[in-house]
Amino acid sequence: MNGFDINTIVYILEIVVGGLLVGIGVHFVPVGGAPAAMAQASGIGTGTVQLAAGSGLTGLLAAGLMMSVTDNIWLILASGGVGAGIMIGATMLTGGWIYAYAVGVPFASAKVNYDPITKFSQAPYVSPGTVGQGIPTVCYVSGLIGGMMGGVGGAMIYYPLYLINGNAGLSAIFSIGIFLVNAVLASWNIQGTIEGFHDPKFKKWPFAYRACAVASILLALAAVLITGGA
Amino acid sequence: MDAFSMGFVAAMGALATVAGASEDIESDIGSQSNPNSQVQLAAQVGSPHRIFNKAISGEPPANALWACTAATVAYTLITAFQIPALAALALGASVAALFNGVFAMSAYLGRNTSQKRFNQWVYLDIVRYTTTSIMAHAWITSFCIATISYIMVYMQEFKHPFPMPVIALIWGLAVGAIGSSVGDIQYGGEREFQNRQFGCGLNTMLSGQIVRKAEAGLRNSIDNAWFCTKFGGPATGMGFGLTVFLDNWRTTLFDPVTQAGFAIGAGLFFILVMVSYNFYIERSCRRKYGPYPEYKGDIAA
Repeated sequence: MNGFDINTIVYILEIVVGGLLVGIGVHFVPVGGAPAAMAQASGIGTGTVQLAAGSGLTGLLAAGLMMSVTDNIWLILASGGVGAGIMIGATMLTGGWIYAYAVGVPFASAKVNYDPITKFSQAPYVSPGTVGQGIPTVCYVSGLIGGMMGGVGGAMIYYPLYLINGNAGLSAIFSIGIFLVNAVLASWNIQGTIEGFHDPKFKKWPFAYRACAVASILLALAAVLITGGA
Repeated sequence: MDAFSMGFVAAMGALATVAGASEDIESDIGSQSNPNSQVQLAAQVGSPHRIFNKAISGEPPANALWACTAATVAYTLITAFQIPALAALALGASVAALFNGVFAMSAYLGRNTSQKRFNQWVYLDIVRYTTTSIMAHAWITSFCIATISYIMVYMQEFKHPFPMPVIALIWGLAVGAIGSSVGDIQYGGEREFQNRQFGCGLNTMLSGQIVRKAEAGLRNSIDNAWFCTKFGGPATGMGFGLTVFLDNWRTTLFDPVTQAGFAIGAGLFFILVMVSYNFYIERSCRRKYGPYPEYKGDIAA
């Protein structure tokens, strides 16, 4: 590329939108952290960034494969989203087996009285002394939305970088970096654990939105300049 | 699609299943990831123990490191020294296992010596027997993931554009995330706390009071591996195997050039099936286990 033209601005905007999708998507992923691993809290028993990165970057692999055969942005984004959705779906499903058949607990959330999707009552099924356990349907759906947003976001960061430099490896590493920065910013905002869009903490997303926007603009400028644009 | 590509997808699924299982058992033997908080807490609440304690980092970055190391070494040996792929992958995994051994041993020594004031000892027999077991499982995980990356980059009909180490890094992150979300729950939620009533979450009051006695003698981490191999490990393997297999199956069966829409539609179909399966599990658990007897309120469902 020669010079800083309108395309460069479009590329930067695409990277910023990708970063924002990742940052907001992390808020949807139901992570219970260490308490969830002891069936003390509902959600997935791992860290926010870890799970968002695991699913979003699996989506990046799918998007990278799609981009090597087509340059249709919609197919690439959809491929990234679906790849991430498969990963997080399989993770929550097999995690649910452990809660149901090894720990032997019914799925329940202590944040709401009724599951907003299935309308099942939650409080009678919350184990005493805990704040819920397992992955109720609302958490599962929220996790899928979050994971797929992460996958679409990762693909949206990768797409312009690959157009700029044509080097898949370099673009992938930069995408992973920008992805992780936004995921970490968002996880500071939710302070470790969240159950999904029904959790009261979810209302804090505008803070992460602003922080991720600033970080993504800086990273997008750096990524576009360093990898060979402008 | 050709028959060879589908065969490779099947091989990748099988390798991923093995990688997931060994990853989970590796983390259970070392008490890595979230259940480690209880192992760490145990000595502080007056229960010194003989369980290995290595929280090097979260599982995903740790496994990304092992897998990426194995793939980088293998890639270098294949491209610069023309060593046969299988030997190069095995050598790469061996280097990753050595890295793992150094991290595991320094983590165990560092963590236990820092708890001297709580009477937590460093047991040299535990170091001798358990570290090698952790390294062996890390070898299996890194070998399988490096091999999956090799197949994706060099052998599939549609070769993946990313370099082998980057693919291994991403699959390493994914297997760590799955191991931490699936298998570790059996270790943390069931095995560490067999001294309480079955079928409930861990009451916060019991934090740190992990089981320290085994079927015979004192419990160590090899006993935990024996237990978690029965369900947590295979379930993690299923999770990672499903991810790798389904994700590659849809782009192999449907040509990404001409049938990209079908490939994406197939992925959405798998996701819908998984949502309904999870709903089925939720419903059947509620029906079979029923509400907790301690609950006094009356909420109509």
